[in-house]
Amino acid sequence: MKTIITDFNYLAAKTLDEALDLLCKHKDDDYRIIAGGQSLNTAMKHRLLTPEYILDIKGVADLDYVRFDEKEGLKIGALATHRSVELSPVVREKYEVLREMEENVASIETRNWGTLMGDLCNADPAVDPAPPLIALDAEITVSAKGEERTVPAEEFAVDFFETVVQPGEMATEIRVPPLPPNTGVHFMKYSQIHGDYALASASVLITLDAAKEQCVNARIGLGGVGVTPIRAKKAEEVLKGKKITDEVLAEAARVASEETSPISGIEASADYKRELAGTLVRRVGKEALERARRA
Amino acid sequence: MKQQLNIVVNGEPRELFIEPKTLLVQVIREHLGLTGTHQACDSSSCAACTVVVDGMAVKSCSILALQVNGREVLTVEGLAQGPNLHPIQQAFIDNWAFQCGFCTSGQIMATKALLDENPDPTREEVQAQLDGHLCRCTGYNMINEAVRDAAKRIKAQKETANSEKGAK
Amino acid sequence: MSEYSIIGKPTPNVDGPAKVTGEARYTIDMTLPHMLYGKLLRSPYPHARILSIDTSAAEKLPGVKAVITGKDTPGGKWGLWRRFRELSDQQALATDKVRFIGDPVAAVAATTEEIAERALDLIEVDYEPLPAVFDPIEAIKDDAPMVHEDFPSNINATRHIEWGDVDAAFAKADYIREDRFVLEAAHPCAMEVHNSLASYDKGTGRLTVWTSTGSPYFVQQNLADALKMREGDIRVIKPHVGGHFGGKNSTMPDSVNAAILSMKTGRPVKIVFNRDEEFTTTEHRTAQHMALKLGLKKNGEIVAFEVKAMTNGGAYTGLGATTLYLTGTFITMPYKIPNYRYDGVRTYTNIVWGTSIRGFGSVPGKYCSETQLDRAAKDLGIDPLEIRRINAVAPGYTAPGQYTFESCGIQPCIEKMAVRVKEKWPKIEQDEGIGYCAFAYMTGGIFNWIDTPYAYSSAHIKVNWDGTVDLYSQAADVGQGHNTVAAMICAEELGIGLDDIRLHMGDTAHAYTDLGAWGSRETLMNGNAIKDAAAQVKQKLIDIARMKLGENIAYDFVARDKRVFLELRPERGVSYYDLVKDAIRHNDGVPLTGTGHYTPHNKGMISPAYAMGIMAIKAKVDRETGHVTAQDVLVVHDSGQIINPLGARGQTEGCIHMGLGYGLCEEMPMDQGMLLNPEFVDYKILRTRDMPEIEIMHVPTYEPNGPFGAKEAAEATIAPAAPSLANAIYQACGAEFFSNVLKPEKVLKAIRAKEAQNNATSQAKK
Repeated sequence: MKTIITDFNYLAAKTLDEALDLLCKHKDDDYRIIAGGQSLNTAMKHRLLTPEYILDIKGVADLDYVRFDEKEGLKIGALATHRSVELSPVVREKYEVLREMEENVASIETRNWGTLMGDLCNADPAVDPAPPLIALDAEITVSAKGEERTVPAEEFAVDFFETVVQPGEMATEIRVPPLPPNTGVHFMKYSQIHGDYALASASVLITLDAAKEQCVNARIGLGGVGVTPIRAKKAEEVLKGKKITDEVLAEAARVASEETSPISGIEASADYKRELAGTLVRRVGKEALERARRA
Repeated sequence: MKQQLNIVVNGEPRELFIEPKTLLVQVIREHLGLTGTHQACDSSSCAACTVVVDGMAVKSCSILALQVNGREVLTVEGLAQGPNLHPIQQAFIDNWAFQCGFCTSGQIMATKALLDENPDPTREEVQAQLDGHLCRCTGYNMINEAVRDAAKRIKAQKETANSEKGAK
Repeated sequence: MSEYSIIGKPTPNVDGPAKVTGEARYTIDMTLPHMLYGKLLRSPYPHARILSIDTSAAEKLPGVKAVITGKDTPGGKWGLWRRFRELSDQQALATDKVRFIGDPVAAVAATTEEIAERALDLIEVDYEPLPAVFDPIEAIKDDAPMVHEDFPSNINATRHIEWGDVDAAFAKADYIREDRFVLEAAHPCAMEVHNSLASYDKGTGRLTVWTSTGSPYFVQQNLADALKMREGDIRVIKPHVGGHFGGKNSTMPDSVNAAILSMKTGRPVKIVFNRDEEFTTTEHRTAQHMALKLGLKKNGEIVAFEVKAMTNGGAYTGLGATTLYLTGTFITMPYKIPNYRYDGVRTYTNIVWGTSIRGFGSVPGKYCSETQLDRAAKDLGIDPLEIRRINAVAPGYTAPGQYTFESCGIQPCIEKMAVRVKEKWPKIEQDEGIGYCAFAYMTGGIFNWIDTPYAYSSAHIKVNWDGTVDLYSQAADVGQGHNTVAAMICAEELGIGLDDIRLHMGDTAHAYTDLGAWGSRETLMNGNAIKDAAAQVKQKLIDIARMKLGENIAYDFVARDKRVFLELRPERGVSYYDLVKDAIRHNDGVPLTGTGHYTPHNKGMISPAYAMGIMAIKAKVDRETGHVTAQDVLVVHDSGQIINPLGARGQTEGCIHMGLGYGLCEEMPMDQGMLLNPEFVDYKILRTRDMPEIEIMHVPTYEPNGPFGAKEAAEATIAPAAPSLANAIYQACGAEFFSNVLKPEKVLKAIRAKEAQNNATSQAKK
């Protein structure tokens, strides 16, 4: 195993426009964008990646924000660190689930320098932020010079360590819509060792009707149980329109685990992960339901 | 091509010319000779290399040094005030919070960042802060006790300083 | 304990200021002017013949100063079992064939690490892959590939131990159970990787090596063998060491090749393994198969015990053969076993080799025997703590031909545990259980495979005019705190303070021999040597004091609180500092010196003393995920007279961390000899939030063979952690485990198996 990064040409942008200009210019080159580099630097050390150009956007201050307004919801700029999301008062007040998620992302050192967007762009299937963002119906803005498109969170990753972001593009913003009333969301990941990569993770959003009886909407995001994070749509249908009981949750969990396609690894087999995803959906769903009732 | 890097390390401005691929830990250990910061893995998994950049604990092995341009870096060598150990350092000694000592500077620097932010952490809060730090010797409990002991010492130090100010 | 002024008092680490300020220098922190960086090219095959090596392209790379292959080395083989030269099987670089993935075949020295790394890619090796063998059971089959041609059966070592009449005893036993186990390998994972800096002086032909080792003496001996040099021409210096845990006893290719490259280039050469090399090519705790047969009386008394072990030795010997020997011994402790038989086989295989990792000889074996004992107790309806009490030994117990427990506090430990468990854990919730494991471990290994002709440990001290003491020994502080223990023992004996002592440790040029930090030996062996040296100086001071005071020769003096005074009339005495001056004047200006040594005699071949105790773990299992939580740990420990309570606690906490890791998550899965998790991302070690709080109680005993009655505290408590945990889960839900590493999936399967068994039983009853 190699441990020394190979030489690259270093280009740094200070603004979004500069970054998009650089991307446009180097569209056809072998480049990688670096934000915090918390995964990229290791990948380069191990020569999994040997880019010719590194485009450094860490200094793009106009993308370093966590904002909220009642109409559009939460906006997280591409350069917002994990830690700034974790400590954001508005996240704490309106999107508690994101804080809960952040508290278990890697280590505090990684969260201090690494960005939430960078984590999504690295596209590890077990990436922690994806399941709650899927459950929250978040969208991700992907920009190129003079162009912009938005992608639902569940469609952002397309394969192992691969996203929809094309050469010349960069992901610039995460937008999380405001939560409807009577909504509860929860997230849990399981790893044998605290703070480790998830063997599986699940986030469930439940919106109840005005009487807080029937489930009017449900969204389920799962991590670590496929080549990308996934949305368990069939399991969501099990919950929708019903009064959620333990039996209904158990059925949703069963369906959710059937929607997964995990890969066996040294830590656990695919069968175990599949079952674990179901267990997490049931546990997380129960807590989301409680939260919806309290909301 | 080498690029210029201007950083303040332990209070001293430094100007260097480095390859862009240079990691912060290499600047600290190899260019500046500050070998108190250690590296125990090649996969960003041990946090032994933790230093404080602009008040934040970060892993110096996982940051391109150029990204720190213009910022302040504090390493374990910059913690003691002249001949006096920092209270965190003294608490680590008095509580047997290290054995081989190899991961210790990382633990101490993470503790520095923690206590600057949260002067009175619980056992669980200390665990949350130090969770990324691998230690093969101590089993962590004695580190945790040292961190909380350090918090008490810093508080006492501040109270003494305040009462001395008051007396003047 | 009040009779001592220093021993037994919580004493901060004497290396503390250096270690908390970043001033402490480890080998990895060192550079020398004009230094080159070395790297090793390693085999990608588990077993292959080397047909040719072409280094010409690498040699042409600017910045490369030397490229060597096996033919460029002095060709000496080395190993820790030097007494049996055929087991000196390590070599600097493979010559004829490679025996595991990672076996080094070439080495490069270059002006930067990066150039050295690039040069490795330019070396072309033509291999002829050979069939390989990875499992010990396969390795002993007739048609198995031969790892070493001079060992056609692949058997590296065997061990047979027997006492009593085992077969007759089984025939009379009321209850017999047989269990088979598979134990996974684990890596020591010292935070500082193996690394060495070698500097050869062409003018004198002498070599200096700084290395991260547990035994400068072993490295010196092995380098002499490898380089075909005189040991006296090799100086080995151990700077601060970033962790050892048994993985730094063997001399590894870093120091040997750094030395050879330094000899070739005339420049200092440093070789640092990366973490991947550390995992894939340095020594680990051996994976093994075990089969245990236990015979009991109805009342739970052990009548017969038979153990078979087969260890997956790997490509070379290391201290792995010792591990095999000790497994047969430690698995019997601390119980009275009237009839016992052990057969152990260590095989060569085509993987990196196993060795003497912390608690060696006890960790896998105790996992098997103590989980088996719990199952037996349940079958017989006996409380798990009670079955341990019934069988625990008493002081003076002798296992024929093996060991004698002189000091022995196991019974009081168990009694104390019984009381404390009731107080601490009065109520056990659903899915929780308490598991126990009794344990004992050597305090200093006596076996002399290294074949040293020297005293096992020595120390000398020089007392200067101002009363400061220079203490010299090769003994190795590797993080365990031995420097503090050494200073405390010296200060106590001389009746002075720690501030009077200067340590000069771990340098073969400055001190007589000490065999290093392994087998929990430094406190007892080096402690005895230091105490001996200090006692000699103390006697000189007493002689002067007696002259000065003109006391009756029948009166006894003591040295304490920096004075030498009459034991019965403390007011009559002289300042230590004044006495030193008088003594040096009296000695024609020569500083006071003492040279102490220790070699155990008439103590058998295992150890002069044994630490012991009992552990209890309260754990909880999640029946849906299989997650096991170690909630709380209790240890009652007979470690003799504790020298430094802070250090002893640190060692115990660290042992339990490593022991729980062995039980929960540490493993080395391989595919065709290739390690699948060679980074901390995938090799899991417990983090701070995974560690329970630990309560440690002591049952002090006085060990006649130990300095001030001391025994070891560094290793005994690692073995009981995993079996206590497994037993806790067994008590919680009946799930049984026949291997370590209670990963959630394994636990879930065991729970389901138990549930299925219970259902079948209840169906049958209906």
